[in-house]
Amino acid sequence: MTLDLITTLIPALVPMASDDGPVWLLAAGPAGGAATYWAFYRYYRNTDKSHQFERDTLIEAQPVQGGEEKVGHISKTRDSDIDGDNSDNYRQRVQRVQ
Amino acid sequence: MSQESAEPKQPTFDGPPLSLEEELAAAKAEPEPGPSIETVNESLKDGLNRCPKCGSTDVRLRGSTGMLVCLFCRNEWQEARVEEEFGLGEGIDQLEGTVIASGAGDIAADAADQLTFKCEACGAEVVVDTAHALNARCHWCRHTLNVNQQIPNGAVPDAVLPFRLTKDEAVEKIREFASKRRLFAHKRFKKEFVPENVLGVYLPYLVIDARAESQYWGKGEVQTRRWTEKQGDNNVTYYAADVYQVSRQVSFTVDDLTVEGSSERAQIGPANTNNIINTILPFDTKNAVKWNASYLVGFTSEKRDLNVEAVRPHLEDQLLSIGRSEVRGSLGRFDRGVRWEQEKLDVGGSRWVSMYLPVWLYSYRQESNGMLHYIAVNARTGETMGSIPVSQPKLLLAAFTVGTFLEGIAGAILVASA
Repeated sequence: MTLDLITTLIPALVPMASDDGPVWLLAAGPAGGAATYWAFYRYYRNTDKSHQFERDTLIEAQPVQGGEEKVGHISKTRDSDIDGDNSDNYRQRVQRVQ
Repeated sequence: MSQESAEPKQPTFDGPPLSLEEELAAAKAEPEPGPSIETVNESLKDGLNRCPKCGSTDVRLRGSTGMLVCLFCRNEWQEARVEEEFGLGEGIDQLEGTVIASGAGDIAADAADQLTFKCEACGAEVVVDTAHALNARCHWCRHTLNVNQQIPNGAVPDAVLPFRLTKDEAVEKIREFASKRRLFAHKRFKKEFVPENVLGVYLPYLVIDARAESQYWGKGEVQTRRWTEKQGDNNVTYYAADVYQVSRQVSFTVDDLTVEGSSERAQIGPANTNNIINTILPFDTKNAVKWNASYLVGFTSEKRDLNVEAVRPHLEDQLLSIGRSEVRGSLGRFDRGVRWEQEKLDVGGSRWVSMYLPVWLYSYRQESNGMLHYIAVNARTGETMGSIPVSQPKLLLAAFTVGTFLEGIAGAILVASA
């Protein structure tokens, strides 16, 4: 609901700004309001919390093995990182090979 | 003492009769393999837990020490730790196949919750509802009757981890948690909040040791160049990168991975607050002791309703996640990140033990949306987590106020710079 509010507010506010000034500053209000809502909601409801079994379980691992092979080159892109980086998102499942 | 189901036994239909050859083959076949680890506490087979010093059965847990205390002679003792008793901490790297302790065996579909006991002291019949408690007092002579045998309804686990935090300590933790979250709490919750209503509950978990190997395949990118180009008034940053096909594999063992044994709480999502109870894991499961229902006197308990096969997909998910976290450290070279696309898991062996773990649970049902909110306290470590019903109008007002304030500042800056 709050996100909807922001998306409606921003285009409405932008034309009001002066052409010389940093127009993006007008997003500060809706963004700040949404962040406040989100932060307090999380602090009260803790919907994002979970047991960190990857860290809190007794794990003994052998040395990691593997390899890498160059398969291509991107000569010019505006993206600062790879598409769909999930190396830190351990719980996101990908295609399971049997 | 007799132990029988309250409901009459129905004859079961087990399919059409077998042919003579099939009958002979079935008779010659090896018997069904029993549980790999037998954890029945033989000394309590008669359902009575007697004080080893005076023989009284008035026994309960002393929370401060985690030991059993005889209320008659004050003698204190405890059951053996299952870790040493059944060698649970050993040989994880040599596990083969699925090793299941007797208390984690499959739940018989027709097993009833209600058990009728004959009181040894006076002969009266006492009914125990094993879904919620595993002991009851004879209403005539006050003799305590315990369910100590592993009945096929999954109510009696292999081990139990006694409560350590007292109720007063739990109430204090819950009060402290809630008092930090008063400002935007729902008005009705604040009015009805009574932390003294906290319940001590033993929740069912499956504690798993496993040996696994996981493999991952994906793409990784290494930045080779970074430059900026002027486009009109703006500078735009561009990147060049090498793309690699990446593979990683790791072998590992996990010791005492703890997974929900109740189907209700295994469902975690935005529609409920089950994640709160999951969050207070881990427990010091190494200190769990052999099953003895006297540890449960004064507490309620929830019955396990998930079998090993039902939990196995969940275990595999967690093992894949653990493997992913283990290989994370080997990806430093890929400064633009790695996108895993395929993964594979081989579970070499797993060992399953059913355990009751102690939780102080305060629950509150929000009338407006029917959601059940918990504040849970790990009764061993004291870790506390909860969900407090939020007053949406108050929270929206706060968000609107902050938004307006920031917008005012932004407006002032724009006016000044114009």
